[in-house]
Amino acid sequence: MMPLWLGVAPFALAYAVLARNAGLSIVETQALSLLVFAGSAQVSAVGLFSRGVGGLEIVLTTFLLNVRHVLYGMSLGRVVPMTRRERLIGAYLLTDEAYGVSVARGARSFPFVLGAEVSLFLVWNVTTLVGALVGGVIPDPERLGVDFVFPVAFLALLVPLLRLKVDVAVALVAGVAAWLLAKWLPGGVPVLGAGVSGALLGAWLTR
Amino acid sequence: MAHPVSFWPTCLAMLAVTFGSRLTGLLVRMRLPSYWLRFLHFVPIAVFAALITPSLEGSRGEGGIRFAAAGLAGVVAWRTRHLALTIAVGLAAFWLLRLVY
Repeated sequence: MMPLWLGVAPFALAYAVLARNAGLSIVETQALSLLVFAGSAQVSAVGLFSRGVGGLEIVLTTFLLNVRHVLYGMSLGRVVPMTRRERLIGAYLLTDEAYGVSVARGARSFPFVLGAEVSLFLVWNVTTLVGALVGGVIPDPERLGVDFVFPVAFLALLVPLLRLKVDVAVALVAGVAAWLLAKWLPGGVPVLGAGVSGALLGAWLTR
Repeated sequence: MAHPVSFWPTCLAMLAVTFGSRLTGLLVRMRLPSYWLRFLHFVPIAVFAALITPSLEGSRGEGGIRFAAAGLAGVVAWRTRHLALTIAVGLAAFWLLRLVY
């Protein structure tokens, strides 16, 4: 679990600084970590907030980014026996990291899953608070180029996912498509359009 | 920067779609058709890529050094698969290149 906490903490810190820079208050920054608890969706949401994108597009992007959790749930539900109440709690705290640990090297029992999930939740939220407090006092964050954290953070998330040539092809097509669309279309539309069509292309290419 | 007026409704809707996705998988017993399984595999790849490119250039005429710093960060991500290290190297390179140019 240790390496996972060490990976999550800086990401939460970066998220919180970006959120404060995007105009969110400390309470709002923390609320996303407490209620949504999904790193990449939170970072993309504050990035879109800062560009003045409407709520609907942010919610749709969140859905697109988090719909993969359906898969994790189906897989986890098959290997770990859980009561109905345990499923509710387990679902609220489910993340990529907790799923990975539980399926890969877990004891495959609900207490193990819950332990992994709760520890990640605590690290994520405590680090968010630290980042939210620090992020508010960074002088003129825009001049520091804090907005550059946004593409770099997503680059760091993307690159480890690129295992096959088709993965690289989908990333290139979606990236170029979003870049072109962003010249004419506002805010979140390029992300949604390029995201959906890139994934459709990938599924078609691997048919 | 403008404060997001619609923060709370957006936040609650984000909670709904995220928790909904997490719960659906754990409650429903079903098998997805293989096409949609593969679609879901490619969603984060396509969305992350689509989130990178529009914000890469920036609005301060620093496109060149931002591309260079991002390229270096990409190499670090590829060799180490380490999230924090990638972000740190990317930012450090950006600040250094800024000092030089």
